[in-house]
Amino acid sequence: MRPFVAIDTATEQVAVGIGDLDDPGSVIAERSFLAPRAANEVLVRTVEDLLEEVGARASGVEAVACGRGPGSFTGVRIAVATAKGMAHGLRAPLVGFGTSEAIAHRWTRPGLVGVVTDAMRGEVYPALFRVEGDGVVKRLSSDCVATPQEVAAEWAGLGESVVLIGTGLRKHRAIFEREMGDRAVYAEERLWVPDGASIVRAAWVAEGASTLRAIAGLSRDEAYAAAHPAVLLPVYTRLSDAEEAERKRAGLSREPGATGVAGPSEGGDRS
Amino acid sequence: MRAADLKAVMRIEQASFLAPWSEAQIAEEIGRPDRAWLLAEEDDGSVVGFGGVMVVGTEAHVMDLAVDPAYRRRGIGRALLWALADEADRLGASRMTLEVATGNAAAIDLYLSCGFDVAGRRTSYYPETGEDALVLWSRPIRPHLAAMRAAREGSDVVLAIESSCDETAAAVMRGGRELLSSVVASQVDFHARFGGVVPEIASRKHTEAIVGVVDEALERASIGLGDLHAVAVTQGPGLVGALVVGVAYAKGLAFVRDLPLVGVNHLEGHLYAARLHDPRLAPPFVALIVSGGHTMLVHVPEWGRHEVLGRTLDDAAGEAFDKVAKLLGLGYPGGPVISRLAAEGDPEAIPFPRAMLRSGDLDVSLSGLKTAVLQYVQRERAAGRELNLPNIAASFQAAVIDVQVAKTLAAVSERGVRSVVLAGGVAANAALREALAHALGERGVRLVVPPMPLCTDNAAMIAAVAHDEILRGRFLGLSAEASAVMHLRGADARI
Repeated sequence: MRPFVAIDTATEQVAVGIGDLDDPGSVIAERSFLAPRAANEVLVRTVEDLLEEVGARASGVEAVACGRGPGSFTGVRIAVATAKGMAHGLRAPLVGFGTSEAIAHRWTRPGLVGVVTDAMRGEVYPALFRVEGDGVVKRLSSDCVATPQEVAAEWAGLGESVVLIGTGLRKHRAIFEREMGDRAVYAEERLWVPDGASIVRAAWVAEGASTLRAIAGLSRDEAYAAAHPAVLLPVYTRLSDAEEAERKRAGLSREPGATGVAGPSEGGDRS
Repeated sequence: MRAADLKAVMRIEQASFLAPWSEAQIAEEIGRPDRAWLLAEEDDGSVVGFGGVMVVGTEAHVMDLAVDPAYRRRGIGRALLWALADEADRLGASRMTLEVATGNAAAIDLYLSCGFDVAGRRTSYYPETGEDALVLWSRPIRPHLAAMRAAREGSDVVLAIESSCDETAAAVMRGGRELLSSVVASQVDFHARFGGVVPEIASRKHTEAIVGVVDEALERASIGLGDLHAVAVTQGPGLVGALVVGVAYAKGLAFVRDLPLVGVNHLEGHLYAARLHDPRLAPPFVALIVSGGHTMLVHVPEWGRHEVLGRTLDDAAGEAFDKVAKLLGLGYPGGPVISRLAAEGDPEAIPFPRAMLRSGDLDVSLSGLKTAVLQYVQRERAAGRELNLPNIAASFQAAVIDVQVAKTLAAVSERGVRSVVLAGGVAANAALREALAHALGERGVRLVVPPMPLCTDNAAMIAAVAHDEILRGRFLGLSAEASAVMHLRGADARI
């Protein structure tokens, strides 16, 4: 077994999972719990406890996988910075996965799954997925930020029903009910955030050069070079408020592209 | 500990706990091969503290630890705990664990500041009081003992990380004084067009830069991760989102390498920058810390203890320079451009107010001065007069400096110190340095100003503090959090 640790704190849920680089999809151990505003306090200790539970040592971890968001900016950075410290200290590869992927993986029945994570200020981070008959989860839309009205209107026109899942439903469910009617099915609330098993699975489906699939077959040194911990960055989808305000003053569109000084999604492959 | 010590031990035990051990219980403990009971003694041999551990496999249970009430707050409990750790290590333990009453704040503070983490809570654990117990676990003992041993020998190699504002910095230092590398990635250009530090941008840039900055610091020092004795990180004060990046990264690194983690107060770092520059500098002294985020006068009776004498009630000095530069359309950061203009202007041209000059205390206020500059500029513009920027800059700067110098002199005479430290980014202001040097020189007081790379935010100063914290046996656990508001350890604090 070559254990890897997966972590995600982009939502209020702290999710930690241990997978095996030699056995895609297997979940060795997992733990997750709600810890509002306490992710930095509890994350490393949770990883430590979970490794101990399976009799593994931190020094034996072969790779680190980390949720890149979108979600709470600080929450995303807690997982990313912790993962960077771990991977850097181990000289081990650091790979990313989408937090929305991890949430979609909590739904296992075939069909369309629409993740809507609360983005505050009346907006959500939407991402559309298709769960296929064999349990494979395919991403159909890129990460972005949008109003629930925009998202609901688009998904209402897909021609089939969508399972809605995510913390954005807490505030905006009425909008989806109104716009989507019986085209929307609502996942129960306990599934709205990632858990330890879903992040291990999401890490395996992430596509690109600095992902688990890309590095699992490489030697440790090759893998470290291919997925160096300096490279991975969060996916924010929004610029900082200062830059958003600046763009508004300049009359520019909402689409920030890659020009922001604190870019919304550069760095590493989009998972 | 021997049977003959039991009487003295019982006196301390009974003075320390609501439900003390009995003499027979302790007597039964001492001498057993899986136990270690230690005494702390005065020079005359009288017992002032004691503690005991029981080792089961790789776990050492701290069963008792108490210090004579008359001898507390002197580091005796901490020294005993690490001495017990040494014994526990010898008996084969890799970690220590213990229960402590939730109401015993002093003990909890001691254990947490030795790097213990709270692992759980036992409800109504103490039958006598019904109080809950917290279950604490130490981090791996041996690396901590090794770091303390190396620090005593002056050979400790520390990697320090600083991310409290808009500089991502890392440094490697040996023995608390020999700087092997210091790398600072400044973000100033990213913040410039917003006229000040944007916290969210700072946090994002730290996340982008931190791994590269640490790699560069290690490379320049020719140090591998395996050579390190400890990882240090600025825990506060500062921008919380920025601090979080450094703290989370440092925790991840310390965890996987089983390295001790040291949390450093950024302000204390500024004080130690002066010691890095001038190794002869010794307390007591007064420090004027002036930067973009802080403006305060601190009395340092000894390293590690502080008495904040005064602080700004509103803007920090650097912030005032930035705000005035912004209202004059001079860009960001304001310090360098104002100081350059001021050199060509007349500092007495405009009589800006010297707020709180005669307030009787050592606090300062700078927002009124900024408003006075704004009102002056508006008046001049309304009158159709062209602004004399050098005169405005010189007069504003003189108002800031006059108050800082007067308050520093008052602090010096109040405390009777013979040395003053000027620290923080605003120490770059040549006129402030000169005015302070002149005023102090007249009174025969020495002024220590670190060179600029040590005055602006850097990780070398964090590493310097970390060395002393390791000597003191102070560490963080893995539950440690960043702290936006973090006070300097007080003059009567437990060390």
